[in-house]
Amino acid sequence: MNIATQNGKKLQLNKNMLSSYGTIVAGLGIIFAFSIMSPNSFATIDNMIGITRQIAFLVIIAVGATLVMSVKEFDLSIGAMASLGGVVSAKLAAAGVPVIICLIVPIMIGFIIGVINGAIITKFNVISFVTTLAMGTILGGVTFWLTGGSTVFENIPESFKYVGQTNLAMIPLLSIIMIFIVVIFWYIMSQMSLGRRFYAIGGNERASQVSGINIKYYKTISFALCGMLAAFTGALLASRLGSAHPTGGDGFFLNAYAAVFLGMTVVRSGIPNIIGTLYGAAILGVLANGLTIIEVPSYMQDIITGAIIIIALIVQKLGRDS
Amino acid sequence: MVLLQMKQISKVFGDMKALNSINLSIEQGKIHSLVGENGAGKSTLIKILTGVYQSTSGELFCEGSKVDIKAPKDAQQLGIHAIHQDRQLIPYFNGLENLYLNDPYPLKRGLFGINWRKMKAEAELLKRKWGIDIPLDIPAFKMTPSEQTLLEILRAMNSDSKILVLDEPTASLSDKESELLFSFIERLKNQGVAIIYISHRLEEVIRISDKVSVLTGGKLTTTLNKDELSKELIIHHMTDGEALRTVEKKHEKEPNNKDILLQVNDLRTKDQRVKKADFTLHSGEILGVYGLAGAGRTETLEAIYGLRSIDHGEIRYKGKPILKPSPGKMLQNGIAMIPENRHEEALIMSNTIKDNMTLPIISSVTDKGKINKKKEDTLVDGEMERFKIKATSMKQRVAELSGGNQQKVVFGKALLTEPNIYMCDEPTQAVDIMTRTEIHMFLKKQSELGDGVIFVSSDINEILEISDRVLVFSEGKTVSVLENHNLTTNEILDICYKTKMEGVAK
Repeated sequence: MNIATQNGKKLQLNKNMLSSYGTIVAGLGIIFAFSIMSPNSFATIDNMIGITRQIAFLVIIAVGATLVMSVKEFDLSIGAMASLGGVVSAKLAAAGVPVIICLIVPIMIGFIIGVINGAIITKFNVISFVTTLAMGTILGGVTFWLTGGSTVFENIPESFKYVGQTNLAMIPLLSIIMIFIVVIFWYIMSQMSLGRRFYAIGGNERASQVSGINIKYYKTISFALCGMLAAFTGALLASRLGSAHPTGGDGFFLNAYAAVFLGMTVVRSGIPNIIGTLYGAAILGVLANGLTIIEVPSYMQDIITGAIIIIALIVQKLGRDS
Repeated sequence: MVLLQMKQISKVFGDMKALNSINLSIEQGKIHSLVGENGAGKSTLIKILTGVYQSTSGELFCEGSKVDIKAPKDAQQLGIHAIHQDRQLIPYFNGLENLYLNDPYPLKRGLFGINWRKMKAEAELLKRKWGIDIPLDIPAFKMTPSEQTLLEILRAMNSDSKILVLDEPTASLSDKESELLFSFIERLKNQGVAIIYISHRLEEVIRISDKVSVLTGGKLTTTLNKDELSKELIIHHMTDGEALRTVEKKHEKEPNNKDILLQVNDLRTKDQRVKKADFTLHSGEILGVYGLAGAGRTETLEAIYGLRSIDHGEIRYKGKPILKPSPGKMLQNGIAMIPENRHEEALIMSNTIKDNMTLPIISSVTDKGKINKKKEDTLVDGEMERFKIKATSMKQRVAELSGGNQQKVVFGKALLTEPNIYMCDEPTQAVDIMTRTEIHMFLKKQSELGDGVIFVSSDINEILEISDRVLVFSEGKTVSVLENHNLTTNEILDICYKTKMEGVAK
């Protein structure tokens, strides 16, 4: 009898620890494992810096997804939005438009699409999941229309590629932009009234409404910010590659949500948060990088990544229920 | 023959006794009605019978042998079925599919497939046996309310129900449909089914019942036989004899027409839950609002606060008409709402005390978008002090607090908006006695400072205890305003049931 209760207690303790630190321990474990398996390619400063550049796109787009998820909605059009943003910026660059305009125009388009998403969802009270899925389809169509289905790569000036390819004192400019965005949105979400309102709506929409918060307005803002970040991600990707493929950003959408969900497991409360998202994207980035270095085929990488996300979710749920 | 016997059944929630030693016998082929005010314990009793709750103490006997109802499944196996006000039907399933919701579908012999023909034949037989003619080939959401009720009863009969609980079955029915239901109930009774009937409509209770048991504050006051039933007697027992005692008015103030804070004229909501609300709220007064369940009290407050669409009518705040009310606008005007449903409408359970309290006023503690945490903490500290909120810190999540302390957070949150009208919907529901008194004292103090309080409660004695005037709602309308001067519970209940009866007689 005594032993049984003791074991029960011990088990619960372990469960709590798993849920609070499980994801962090797993992340460290992954880094450790890769470092042993490939000390000369993985565990180098150059590769670590490289990872920060590789994950920049995922982090920026996932920060946007975090905002929408903080109000308990989904935006599934972010992948298509990124593709469109990349194509638009590359086209503008090819037409000789100044670089700063090439970056600002996609952001503005992302803002407008985000507002339209938010307006439809809040005005007609329809499900964001389906609405944004349909919007993503529309955006995909528009992107094909603009490009005729082919990659935009001709006449792209070096000045446009500068943003995505240059380093400032060893650190890639992309990594710096990523950190800048993470800091800004961490500040918004944790220090400003805007973040407080987002989380209030996500926590209990009805109670927030009774507290005088304009739900429609703030939800629309979250979609607008998300659209901006998604389009910006696409523009940065085009700058990095010096070209834009009409479906180039599509793949980010699933990984972005994977990063947010992984991030939610880092903090015990299980709410979407910017630092968690950064961490989630970093784990995914390290995995992709390390598995490529030790020459695991890409299909195997997909299987491993998917499995890790599922395990993280289960572990977190187990811990919270106990 | 006694089918079901309850012996000393008690149910305790926290430190509240919802049921206190109930003894009740349900006989075969008899209609046994349960009456009582809102919160008297009727639904708790039914939930124990149907396995939703377990009794804290006491014993249940079914046909002489002791039984243990631990889950709804157990109750169904004993042949106890309940028809609730909210339908237990799948809207998009047709009548036949709903009829077989709890039973296995008949399968084709030797083949894997549903024997629809057999199912239909069985259903027809069932319909004929009970003399019910409802269409079974249309989805449930296309049926009329009475067809839905009949379908649910038919389903209970399909599982050989011996005891049928009907909870306010006529609430959504027209008079003609009610008549149809009564004749059906009569047929069930003649076939030996025991009926437990719950209704606020005393008229119909008296008409159809063989026995009426009266519940008051979790206690069974009396059980009356058919030959002694009268409305006066039932109301007398419902008010626990207290009706004869006059409740003293707590503080006297002459309402002054110059100080009208809020005026509501001919208010009607789009969903018709409020049909005609007319009342005024004066500065320095506590306006008690009473009505039976579904009378439109909550809905009226929601309409004023902008949570429910208004069809027509006028809301004036200090003489100024308020067009298109919204919670934000009302809060700015100084009107705060304490909603009935604390967990769903008043608080964000997963958030901290602090985050909850400052949510409506977050702009006022924000400098250029950044929250001034010092200012915020000072405000929250002040309210926690004022209401003596027991918590580890202001960063504790409200989900971890007791009901009373949660409600204090709600009041602190409202007070931070510096309102001069408090619209309180059941503010003392599920709070301990101490907190209840504190809330009463707080509201009285605020009214003495010149604020106006609208106080909705289903506890009629509480209404008499705290109100200056009492507004009575019935069937979506304000039917009466009474000065709380030698007012008795009897007078108020009389108005409620009389207007309810007129509604039926029409």
